[in-house]
Amino acid sequence: MKFAVDTGGTFTDLVVQGDNSDIRLYKSATTPDDPAAGVLATFELAARDIGIDRAELLDRGDMFIYGTTRSTNAIVTGTTAKTAFLTTDGHPDILVIREGGKTEPFNFTMPYPKPYVPRSLTFEVPERLAYDGAVVEPLDEMVVIAHIRTIERMGVEAVAVCFLWSMVNPIHELRVAQLLKEHLPGVPYTLSHVLNPSLREYRRASSACIDASLKPLLGAHLRDLESRLREAGFHGRVLMITSQGGVMEAMDMARTPIHSVNSGPAMAPVAGRFYAEADAASDTVVVTDTGGTTFDVSLVRKGRIPWTRETWIGQPYLGDMTGFPSVDVKSIGAGGGSIAWVDEGGLLHVGPQSAGAVPGPVCYGQGGIEPTVTDAAVVVGYIDPGYFLGGAMALDKEAVVNTIRTRVAERLDLMVEEAAAAVLNVMSENMVHAIEDITVNQGIDPRNAVLVGGGGAAGLNAAAIARRLGCRLAVIPDVAAALSAAGALMSDLRAEFSTTQFTTSDGFDFDSINGVLQILEGKCREFIEGPGADSKDQAIEFTAEARYPHQIWEIEIPVRDSRFSTEADVAELVETFHATHDDMFAISDPGSPIEIVSWRANVRCGLRDRAAAWSVVESDSAASPPLSRRCYFSDIGTVDAPVLRLESMARNVVVEGPALIESSFTTLVIEPGATAVRRATGSLIITPAS
Amino acid sequence: MKAPAERANNKIVLDGVQLAIINKRLETICTKMANTLLRTGRSGVLNSARDFSCVIVTAEDELLCVNEVLPIHVLSGPDIMSRTMKEFHPNLKRGDAYLHNSPYHGNSHPADHTILVPVIDDDGVHHFTVLAKAHQADCGNSIPTTYMASARDVYHEGALIFPAVKVQENYKNVDDIIRMCQMRFRVPEQWWGDFLATLGSARIGERELQVLAEDVGWETLHTFARQWFDYSEQRMKAALRKMPAGRSTATTKHDPFPGAPDGIPVKVTVDVSPDKPMIEVDLRDNPDTYPCGLNLSEACARTAAMIGVFNSIDPTVPPNAGSSRRIQVHLREGSCVGIPRHPTSCSVATTNLADRVGNATARAIAELAEGYGMASTGCILPPSTGVISGCDPRTDKLFVNQLFVGWGGGAAAPHTDAWLSVGHIGNSGLSYQDSIELNELRFPIRFRRRLCIVDSGGAGRTKGGEGFYVEFGPIDCEMAVAYTSDGNINAPEGVRGGLSGGAARQYTRDLEGNLQEVDACTQVVLNPRENIVSISCGGGGYGSPLERDARRVAMDVLEGWVSAEKARSRYGVVLNEDTTVDETATKILRRTIKSTRSAAPSD
Repeated sequence: MKFAVDTGGTFTDLVVQGDNSDIRLYKSATTPDDPAAGVLATFELAARDIGIDRAELLDRGDMFIYGTTRSTNAIVTGTTAKTAFLTTDGHPDILVIREGGKTEPFNFTMPYPKPYVPRSLTFEVPERLAYDGAVVEPLDEMVVIAHIRTIERMGVEAVAVCFLWSMVNPIHELRVAQLLKEHLPGVPYTLSHVLNPSLREYRRASSACIDASLKPLLGAHLRDLESRLREAGFHGRVLMITSQGGVMEAMDMARTPIHSVNSGPAMAPVAGRFYAEADAASDTVVVTDTGGTTFDVSLVRKGRIPWTRETWIGQPYLGDMTGFPSVDVKSIGAGGGSIAWVDEGGLLHVGPQSAGAVPGPVCYGQGGIEPTVTDAAVVVGYIDPGYFLGGAMALDKEAVVNTIRTRVAERLDLMVEEAAAAVLNVMSENMVHAIEDITVNQGIDPRNAVLVGGGGAAGLNAAAIARRLGCRLAVIPDVAAALSAAGALMSDLRAEFSTTQFTTSDGFDFDSINGVLQILEGKCREFIEGPGADSKDQAIEFTAEARYPHQIWEIEIPVRDSRFSTEADVAELVETFHATHDDMFAISDPGSPIEIVSWRANVRCGLRDRAAAWSVVESDSAASPPLSRRCYFSDIGTVDAPVLRLESMARNVVVEGPALIESSFTTLVIEPGATAVRRATGSLIITPAS
Repeated sequence: MKAPAERANNKIVLDGVQLAIINKRLETICTKMANTLLRTGRSGVLNSARDFSCVIVTAEDELLCVNEVLPIHVLSGPDIMSRTMKEFHPNLKRGDAYLHNSPYHGNSHPADHTILVPVIDDDGVHHFTVLAKAHQADCGNSIPTTYMASARDVYHEGALIFPAVKVQENYKNVDDIIRMCQMRFRVPEQWWGDFLATLGSARIGERELQVLAEDVGWETLHTFARQWFDYSEQRMKAALRKMPAGRSTATTKHDPFPGAPDGIPVKVTVDVSPDKPMIEVDLRDNPDTYPCGLNLSEACARTAAMIGVFNSIDPTVPPNAGSSRRIQVHLREGSCVGIPRHPTSCSVATTNLADRVGNATARAIAELAEGYGMASTGCILPPSTGVISGCDPRTDKLFVNQLFVGWGGGAAAPHTDAWLSVGHIGNSGLSYQDSIELNELRFPIRFRRRLCIVDSGGAGRTKGGEGFYVEFGPIDCEMAVAYTSDGNINAPEGVRGGLSGGAARQYTRDLEGNLQEVDACTQVVLNPRENIVSISCGGGGYGSPLERDARRVAMDVLEGWVSAEKARSRYGVVLNEDTTVDETATKILRRTIKSTRSAAPSD
């Protein structure tokens, strides 16, 4: 048995995969003050459903894969640790200057971004290394100790150290680490050469500062989560999803928490690609994931998971660079918990603020007083207050109607249902805008794409969004409510190992390169025997990062064999380089030698039997909803819309809107003019109104 | 080459969504072209600093698509270059490529090598032209710099000039030209790699345009161009209608340089007519050309004025031939900021005088009404952006390259503090700044310090960007540093009561640590272990510093941008020991300064 958990801002999703690839989904409220409690509560829910003890359920699991938005949220909301930055004397503004660059040449209304660590928490350390690692100026330990005293006095909670050329010679960073341990015990730190031993001081420093600032928060969280899972009876492996779409041991993540930034949504494109292919035979997919707090969108083109070499938290040039590549997912503040508000000019806004899990929407009755999208959906009748989350949570409709009336409808001079529908429309427009931002920016006409809607709140407006975008179809997979967590189970276990070992094609160093490749292969084998121990299939691929002399940006080329034995092998690599360069950039320089800078090995362990069925086990729910419900639609007003249970829908039978389709996790709104059909895969296919 | 198809008969009409999508696709093509140049360029000026621009023009020579370009490279010029190419080569064929760097035929300055590729379909019809313009590490000047301010004329300058010269035919190089280049440009293998990168960029543009045409058809693209120009003109009209009517003149002065010992006065008159609507910029009342390399090319003179305008209006107005219909720039032949006659040198046309023109235009607009225009951006080119050359003792190979190691100096905008790392107005902050480590790896050089200078940002209601202090020198060899640092005497002006940014300075530091001031425009040859100190300008402030929110001033002090002393003397803000604002003392001090400063703002 395998478990995947995705802790979002509002809900914690759990996907349980049985030994026969049978899938079960569970969802409960995220508990921001104690996220581990939310995770355990979700297991409680699962255990009850399966009819066993929680300890027994946990005991049966051999793998727990975890994704969370905790790091991203901490950065966005400015609640990371108070972090100090130690830098080489004379270079205090590395985080201020960054690498220059700006977008929109004629726009001077954007404020210049603040450095990730303020200048007032930046400390210059007398020391200097040369490009070859030679010590030009020794480390002045007295100054370091004086800085540490100041840092302590200022109440700093984490320290990042990045010295020029530390990745070539770490001697000074390592000595500072000793001094930190000695004089500032218990305060976590990150050394740039350990975390990201790469050239370019800004990227390395930024990596180190972001990483250090997350250590207190994420380290504590993961240690707590793992020990409580163990206490509760889990004996398997605890893995965490990385922003690069792979997994790593949770305790490794606690030591390098930067890899958890954006990890939550990183797996949604994997699941989205699968369903677009299975249900709509399309390889151009807009994958959306609507949670309670954020709306994540990514674009799969020609079946490729979107990938960016340069990851920015926030917008390019305005945010901060992580210094690592990642899966490319765009997030905006929009979801079921988004708060609706009317400004002084009488304009309706939805989000980006969210009621989150606590206090949550008004309808939860947990003290929320601001109207949210979920509340609006209750007012127009799309959500049945008596049947939310399969009846697990009873909603207070009267309070909701009153709130929407006083806070939205009266201020806009609308009927309460009209006002609620307007809230949903504004949210849809915000989401359409976010989608167009990435599709149009990549020159993709959304009319040629299939929309895959995931997340607990997807069903509320997936049909509306598909209609607005002009998409052919919207696909709501049966795992939609936990798309990213499901993606984690569908995706392969992956790891990447790389080493910098410079050589040139005209002086190829066979021995050292073969040595490097052997080490990389060994690490891959270790991974296969470790995390990938019970995988169904495995593969190792080697690549080289190479360039022409004087170039500074490498391109990645495949390496056919894991060893180079003859000049012919080298010639083949060079040929591949010329061809790849020509393909990417329309030119090559066939007479030129090439420089190979680094070597990489990717290992992939397939966890899933690809031939096995993959579908959600649908439990017959005791609670049966009524056959129809009073609902409000902007175009046709209030009608009695038929209500269907997703689980009991016949396959391949067309349902015409207006209609509501309910499952334990979500309500799917089929607008007037739209049609829906349930396929054998379990997915619901919506053809939007034209 | 056949004449472009009859476009009058074209009945296609695109809706707003289609317009937006095709525009994005064209922008994406420009981005791909740019990506090619960045990723494949061999010199630091391309692969680190991103000193290049990629654009698309129509077959009728109208500037259609610019995306994330350096403004001074492109707003005017690609049109003239495209026209020149057609005039000199009336029979354009598929597979042709042209090298163009002539400032007398539409290019910016001789160091910007531009490759033009006419995009021609299977029937031989010329539909569009793609241009990739890339600043060279060396362009064959008589001394190793691509900015030769001391050049008496183009002969003294020494650059090889290519007025739209064919360098590829049927996708094959014209090797005669290649060999000439290899005999003239320093570090020829570096030039060759950059040439390939620029050519690749243009070929990518050609290839992607053909793919786009296969998707939507050439006629749709021509319709797009027509509609997009009309849309852009409408947007420009709407922007101008919101502006206050009036005429405003701003003057400024370039520092004394070789060939212009008294400095160069510049006068810009702006006429805004919201009723027409039209904006006119008059540069005619300015001196004749000087026997130096500072003179502007026609492209740069026109573009500099246009940058001042585009920086001052709604930033979402697309800059292209459509919106530019509403901008008239008046130039005079033979003027140093007009249309130069061969053999006048325009070696430094993209920066020094062009910046003076652009900044004065934005300031003239600012003086028309509160909330418009901008202050002056920092002047350049300080030694930290100089051209270095020498022989690397590690490899015994020659090197030449322009540094981009530290320039700030953004100008304050009406409601926003400066974008710190703008560099100069013509570049608008789009260039990257070099990694210290990458430079130390590539060249025998070490950077002792690189940091922002406290109190160097022009004080104002919104603050100018800081200048940079950079100190560097060669390792185990001699190294020449050529630079042209304006702003030593005439610092970047503030506007509407805002103060000037910090002035530029440059020194050498000898083995004993003694500083010696050196000329603002020269080539310094540094001995081993000798350093050069480069101080770049800060940008000007906008509005009175007494109106800046005192809490923001306190934050500036806490973060080390402004000293407590200048917080008092410039901003009238008194701080408590814990860097919070002493509200009462601040109120009194600000009132006192206001009454004494009303005559003339000063430091």
